[in-house]
Amino acid sequence: MEGLFFNINGGYVEGIVRGYRNSLLSGQNYSNLTQCETIDDVKLQLAPSYGDFLSSLPPNPSTSDLAGRMTDKLVSEFKYLIAQSTGSTAKFLEYMTYGYMIDNIALLITGTLHERDTRELLERCHPLGWFETLPVLCVATNIEELYNSVLIETPLAAYFKESLSHQDLDELNIEIVRNTLYKNYLEDFYNFVNTHPDFSGTPTQDVMAQILQFEADRRAINITLNSFGTELSKQERRKLYPEFGQLYPEGSLMLSRAEDVEGVALAVSAVADYKAFFDAVGLSQGGGGLGGMGGGPGDGKSLEDLFYQKEMDMSKLVFTRQFTPAVVYAWMKLKEQEIRNVTWIAECIAQNQKDRIGNFISVF
Amino acid sequence: MSGAVGREAVFPTRQSLGLMKNKLKGAEIGHTLLKRKSEALTKRFRDITRRIDEAKQKMGRVMQIAAFSLAEVSYAVGGDIGYQIQESAKQARFRVRAKQENVSGVLLPTFESYTQDGVNDFGLTGLGKGGQQIQRCRETYARAVETLVELASLQTAFLILDEVIKVVNRRVNAIEHVIIPRTENTIKYINSELDELDREEFYRLKKVSGKKQRDVAAADAEILAARQKAAEEQAAHPEAVEKEEKETKDVLGEDEDNDVIF
Repeated sequence: MEGLFFNINGGYVEGIVRGYRNSLLSGQNYSNLTQCETIDDVKLQLAPSYGDFLSSLPPNPSTSDLAGRMTDKLVSEFKYLIAQSTGSTAKFLEYMTYGYMIDNIALLITGTLHERDTRELLERCHPLGWFETLPVLCVATNIEELYNSVLIETPLAAYFKESLSHQDLDELNIEIVRNTLYKNYLEDFYNFVNTHPDFSGTPTQDVMAQILQFEADRRAINITLNSFGTELSKQERRKLYPEFGQLYPEGSLMLSRAEDVEGVALAVSAVADYKAFFDAVGLSQGGGGLGGMGGGPGDGKSLEDLFYQKEMDMSKLVFTRQFTPAVVYAWMKLKEQEIRNVTWIAECIAQNQKDRIGNFISVF
Repeated sequence: MSGAVGREAVFPTRQSLGLMKNKLKGAEIGHTLLKRKSEALTKRFRDITRRIDEAKQKMGRVMQIAAFSLAEVSYAVGGDIGYQIQESAKQARFRVRAKQENVSGVLLPTFESYTQDGVNDFGLTGLGKGGQQIQRCRETYARAVETLVELASLQTAFLILDEVIKVVNRRVNAIEHVIIPRTENTIKYINSELDELDREEFYRLKKVSGKKQRDVAAADAEILAARQKAAEEQAAHPEAVEKEEKETKDVLGEDEDNDVIF
């Protein structure tokens, strides 16, 4: 049924994205990349996919420049998509940018708190998280003004309104603000794909609900693991868990009570996937090796790697569905992973640490 | 060499000879002392050079690991966290204490690093993802900075010691090649001058005594002649002797004596 009318508005965008998907680097490309001796070689290997964007780079560019140009390409492609989309698809794509907006706002709030010149911060903002009133944030000189005059106008105001007031912005750690916003954003996004009339009961709801649930669970687990040994209290921690996902509510409750890695493992053991992850990285390593890519012995995979792997697998599967803007989301995630992969490979080559070069996630 | 150094401008007197001899002795003592100091410093210097070499190689390794852990962070976080970390760091966790070490009279600054455990400004950075990597990256960089601090104190010591060793060696050489030869020259000069004076004096004395002898001989001959004459006259006029005696009493009178010439 959903296929009947989808192509009227969303068909072009979907087609474009499927084209973009084909230009993603394959396993063959990656194995060529790992053979490279210099960054120039990497540049050359990337030429088929990234030609125009890399050609202006100087010889032997830094890895961050390389990553910057690759991100530029992603951004320009995404901007094209968002310009071509209408109606609920456009709304969906906008939702995707909110995550970057949260990062940008967190950056600007940090700058404002430390009374930096916010103008120079604008250059550091992620271009996808750019919105019209973002430069206006520079006008605000204190947090209250920032909140009252600027944030109110942004799409993120709802996320602030629910849980944060301007007093909080002054006092709370910016990371907590960021994670609270992100939690609200995920919940809102989840709600959006599940209840919007254009999406409910379509493949979009199916796959996006799955992906967002995974994202929510991943955040909850990561927050728990990363909060060990910091001053974040259990009550505060609990407020940062998104209130949906496979772990919610029992798992979340257990996570909020967890005091060590074993506790986390116990909390997630109800979900087979996560249990498998925790078993794979081995609980006996304790906290030190868990989050690290290089910390774990054996195949060198860490929990975070496994999460990324899972996310990529899910994103790859999205392309088996049709008539859904979720492919854009999946393509974004795949592309971001690709950028990180290439950055990693370039970094390994630049630093002459070839032994760990295979530590990326190749999807196709 | 000794010809070129010349001598000090002193009057060749016995007093200055004594002074010079003292000076020579002092210079020799100072020379041995400085030589020993220089040797001690050089020993230390070599030790530091070796340790700098080690520290530099260690730094190379540690910095490589640290840079790589930063790459891991950027892989895990998927973005630039530099700004946030810069902004959230308010207090130094890693601190350096400066101390002084005394190596044969040279004060060498040494830096000692320590971490303040209570300070943990960006503990929550990367809470959403990558927190573990960030923590580990921080630890790696803390180790890297530790190596840098060690290297810094060694390098400072290296520079200072280098300077001091140069100064000491310059002094040793100056004493060995300038001050000691010059003092010796001066002593030689004073000695030769004094000898010369001695010889002159001796010759003069000889001359004087020779002249004296001649004068005495002349005076004796005169007196002898006078006596003979008087004896002759007495023989001729015996009363004239009284007159003669009367005249001799008048020696402090108005009659001037002839100047006595030695």
